[in-house]
Amino acid sequence: MAIPGNHDKRDGIIFSLPFLIVYFMFMVFPLLFGLYISFFNWDILSPGKFVALDNYKRLFTDEMFYSSLWHTIEFVLITTPILLIIGFSMALLVTGDSPLSKISENVFFLPYILSMTVIGTLWAWLMQRDYGLFNQVIRHFGGDSIGWLINPKYAMWSVGLATYWWTAGFNMILFSAGIKQISKEVYESSKIDGAGYFQTLFKITIPLVKPTAVLCLILQIIASFNVFGQVYVMTGGGPHGRTRVLTQYIYEAGFRYFKMGYSAAMAYVLFFIILLISVIQYALLGKERS
Amino acid sequence: MKTHNHKRKIIAILLIALITVPALWSAGAKEESKQEGPIEVTFWSLFTGGDGEFFDAMVDEFNRTHTDIVAKSDTVKFDNYYTKLTTALSANNAPDVVVVHQSNLLGYVPRGVFLPLDDLLARNNAPLDDFVKAPLDAVKYEGKLYALPLDVHALIMYYNEDLFAKAGVKEVPQTYEELIAAAKAVQDKTGKMGMAVDNTTATYKAYTLTRLFMSMLEQQGTSFLNADNSKANFNNAAGEAALRALVDSVHKYKVTPTGLDYDGAVNGFKLGNAGIHFNGVWATGTFENQPGLNFKTAGLPPLLGKPAAWSGSHTLAIPVQKKSDPAKLDAAIEFMLWMTEHGEMWAKAGHIPTRESVYEKEAFTSMPHRKDYADSASFAFAAPATPAWEEIYSTVSDLLEFAVAKNQNAREALAGMEAKVNSIIASY
Repeated sequence: MAIPGNHDKRDGIIFSLPFLIVYFMFMVFPLLFGLYISFFNWDILSPGKFVALDNYKRLFTDEMFYSSLWHTIEFVLITTPILLIIGFSMALLVTGDSPLSKISENVFFLPYILSMTVIGTLWAWLMQRDYGLFNQVIRHFGGDSIGWLINPKYAMWSVGLATYWWTAGFNMILFSAGIKQISKEVYESSKIDGAGYFQTLFKITIPLVKPTAVLCLILQIIASFNVFGQVYVMTGGGPHGRTRVLTQYIYEAGFRYFKMGYSAAMAYVLFFIILLISVIQYALLGKERS
Repeated sequence: MKTHNHKRKIIAILLIALITVPALWSAGAKEESKQEGPIEVTFWSLFTGGDGEFFDAMVDEFNRTHTDIVAKSDTVKFDNYYTKLTTALSANNAPDVVVVHQSNLLGYVPRGVFLPLDDLLARNNAPLDDFVKAPLDAVKYEGKLYALPLDVHALIMYYNEDLFAKAGVKEVPQTYEELIAAAKAVQDKTGKMGMAVDNTTATYKAYTLTRLFMSMLEQQGTSFLNADNSKANFNNAAGEAALRALVDSVHKYKVTPTGLDYDGAVNGFKLGNAGIHFNGVWATGTFENQPGLNFKTAGLPPLLGKPAAWSGSHTLAIPVQKKSDPAKLDAAIEFMLWMTEHGEMWAKAGHIPTRESVYEKEAFTSMPHRKDYADSASFAFAAPATPAWEEIYSTVSDLLEFAVAKNQNAREALAGMEAKVNSIIASY
């Protein structure tokens, strides 16, 4: 797509050079370097010791690796379907004719622009068992305090709850873009044919936003697999490691225990898991579309 | 003519790149200070909140009283502090002085990133005999000093005087039996919580359990790890007694509720809803600022034998630099000595001073609470000096939390903890 009459590609290369330099320095190089150090025992300060595949071997016998991986999968299962449904419902609301649609779009999206630390700290306070707002309200109405973040049964769901509130707005934006792309004529002709609201919803809107839903699903699964901040701030991985997710273990191994090689090995395993799931999704959903 | 223009454009772009790229680099590098005017000593600290305010006040006072040295601080968020410090140390790019916890310091020292201070201290006639012996010994490695201890922050006992009076508790509990009796009396007669000891992780890990467990081991003359830190040393009678004491207080005597997190414990005591609270000395300031809270402090009671209390220590150390400047090093030493010498200012944050001379100062003796637990410095013990400590500490805290939450069989819990700790040590 060169400028007409300009067959010289050099300026194109030069113009993209500043980006490419930064991209290689901060994306490509760390990626490759991570793979490289996953074959070493390295604590940053001392020279690394080559251990070949030992880090990968150790990882498959590490109980905490498995439990953390399971907690991550649990979080993906807890958050992905509900976040898609909430996002889609919000999108229906903001693309509708209601006079509130403009303001609700802003209200729904607002939490997403806040930082993870703010969200985490806020919800941890709200959910504190003895002095948190939620339990104060519950006690006011005669109920018993709930251990939102300290009961092993609820802790992950509580983190999920904060995540719904925080990130559903992003899915809403994607879905409402998808809904707005549907041609008005389709709706008009269905109206003339006498279709009701739910018929329109299930026969027109949902089938036609499917490509958006697929995109949302893939993005959401990747995002949920990378969960770290909310858990780290709200539960610190507790109670007794019950909500420690894989990214948190990777962080702790690398930056608290300074086992950089082991940490990198775990990160690569997580990378391959996400890659595998994404490839399967593309393959399955792509086939359906063609 | 056209190609000429083209070349000029390329040259212009390259020139811009040449000018801007090094500028990006140098933004991260330190400025080379010229030896005119006062010597600049840069340092990093990890203090935020109440600690941060008192520390900054000390630095301001230092700068006000010194015309030849300027101390410039950069406070790093505690969560990221050691990550940032480690990367800076590996690049020999750390500031002139850094604050390091004693438990972290000895993990760094064998890697040669901190300067041994003995010669420098001798050159500056440092009054080393003024330092309390235990914290000074705790920063030695193979006979050499690698830091100066700024404070000792021990695990101590806080108790609510009003609740004790209402419950008829006259003596400060000394043994485990007395502790439980006092807590039960408070609980039965006032309806408040007997003992606020956090036993679950929420925003903070339940470290208090580990600190109490370690303290109760030492009180029975046993250490958490063996002498050369190569094996766990708590799967024995002493460990069983210590773990039982923790579990029983929750499940047998029920003086602490299950699922109590750090915020719940601290706020419970702060609002006068708990009779006894175990925490580090750093909580003193928070409680002092609470109107209507009538509390007292005491060194950790010798619950299971002789006096011993878990403690941490903030130390000041000098990172090895690419090139060292003797004048700057002397200035750094002067700064470090001044900070320890003015421990009474730091004691406002609750911390125990490390210089004998500070204990005599009017400013220190007139402060409430501090002298009640100041003797902790003499029976405080430090964390084991092994690079594996951070991982052991964190993992054992999870396991103790589990044992207390589930009322786990003590022997089973200890055997599991022992296996885990040994495998962690083997992985370093």
